[in-house]
Amino acid sequence: MEPGRAVADLELFLADRGDDLLRTAVLLTGSKEAGEDLLQAALERLLGRWHTIEGDPEGYLRRTLYHLAADRWRQQSAWRRQLRLLRPGLGDAADPFAEVEVRDSLVRLLLQLPPRQRAVIVARYWEQLSEAESARILGCSVGTVKSAAARGLRRLRELSESHRPQDAAERVPAREQTT
Amino acid sequence: MNIELADQLRSDMERFTRDIYVPRGLALRAYRHYQRRRTTLRVAVAAWTATALAVGAVAIAGAAGAFGSAPAPGSAPAPPAQTTAYVLKRVESALAPANVDNLISLNRLVFPPGLTLEPVVGGLSGDATTRGGTTIGREGSPWSVAYVLHWAYQGAQKYSAYGPSGQHVFDMRVSVAKGSVTETVVIYTDRTWWTATKTAAGPRSAGCAANSIQLSAGPGNGWPAFIRSQLACGAYTVVGHQVINGIDAIKITGDRGQPTLLVNPATYLPIQLTIGPLRNYFQWLPPTSAHLAELKEAVPTGFRQVPPPTPN
Repeated sequence: MEPGRAVADLELFLADRGDDLLRTAVLLTGSKEAGEDLLQAALERLLGRWHTIEGDPEGYLRRTLYHLAADRWRQQSAWRRQLRLLRPGLGDAADPFAEVEVRDSLVRLLLQLPPRQRAVIVARYWEQLSEAESARILGCSVGTVKSAAARGLRRLRELSESHRPQDAAERVPAREQTT
Repeated sequence: MNIELADQLRSDMERFTRDIYVPRGLALRAYRHYQRRRTTLRVAVAAWTATALAVGAVAIAGAAGAFGSAPAPGSAPAPPAQTTAYVLKRVESALAPANVDNLISLNRLVFPPGLTLEPVVGGLSGDATTRGGTTIGREGSPWSVAYVLHWAYQGAQKYSAYGPSGQHVFDMRVSVAKGSVTETVVIYTDRTWWTATKTAAGPRSAGCAANSIQLSAGPGNGWPAFIRSQLACGAYTVVGHQVINGIDAIKITGDRGQPTLLVNPATYLPIQLTIGPLRNYFQWLPPTSAHLAELKEAVPTGFRQVPPPTPN
């Protein structure tokens, strides 16, 4: 492989499609840093097949992102511990940081879903892929995509309802409310 | 309701990723990392090939032994002392004569394709050559061997060799009595057998070389002595665990290409030993009548006795 040529081609490709791919990676992993790591790992896989992929490499790269994300979830329980730490704050209207937390609360709640459901939600509602396209990219059946999406949304609804600020206010201990 | 939630989710996702852009140099970073990984892989492959070449002449010796080998210079960095020292001590203890002399060791040695193994006076002579990373043997050799079952118990040993299609190639029984070693070899491919007796050599160290296996006949020798002498070289380190047959075995390896050893974490007895492309699987059996019968060699009726081969 000619290093200069390969890197230049890849730079051109990333200039066009990189931001979208990185955003998907960030949503799959839950943070910018982890998303960059994931995209870099997928790019390395792509370089290994640079001469065998004909045409647009985006499809290969996108599939690799999802597969690597699933691998990492399976293999790195430390990541799961990290994800658990990223639970949304309950918020306080007067606190600007809490407002930010509430603003992207659904994304943060997404981190609490199991890997398959999370990947399906990202594919369906971020990438706007059809059920068949999602199934192809995730390497599973359309039925699996349907059920994972339904369960994922149901769970997100439950989580968001249990974490609404007014709910939080209602959960303030009685002793504090009377003071 | 789900549509509202999906819209809200999509809008949250857009906000969450609004300021995310691919950093400059990500392609170059990926390329450099990819190249480093490729280089590492190439080095690993080259190291394996070198080991395969070194193992080109494997010899499993009887009492006379086959290869002398000098201890390697002790240039290894200090191993993580406690864990390694503790494990090695337990392994050496498990393999001490007092602990293994009452067990039958049954080994299945699996060879790379193309290896030939020939019974000679004084042991077994192995031969393999490597071309382009593939081990090849002498074409059409009657001594092509895929695996050997090796039984050993208190000075008696029996090697049963089988070819690539599972055919029985030969048996070699080695026994020690009154300072002499007797080898009886039955060759199934041409229905012959021969026997030879030699004066037993004294115990000798198997040394620390990575490319030869040297087993001596007699009590307290065999695989336990070989492994203990290897571990005594001081070049071995505990490098982690590997699951084999459902056992989370402790993995021990040398830093100069010596054999890799997997030991049972409960008994510290070896489960597998790997040297280059050769795999050696261990079983430790009680000396029941059935197991002891495996160590006996009976010449089948109709086989013709021939003189032992002349040493080259």
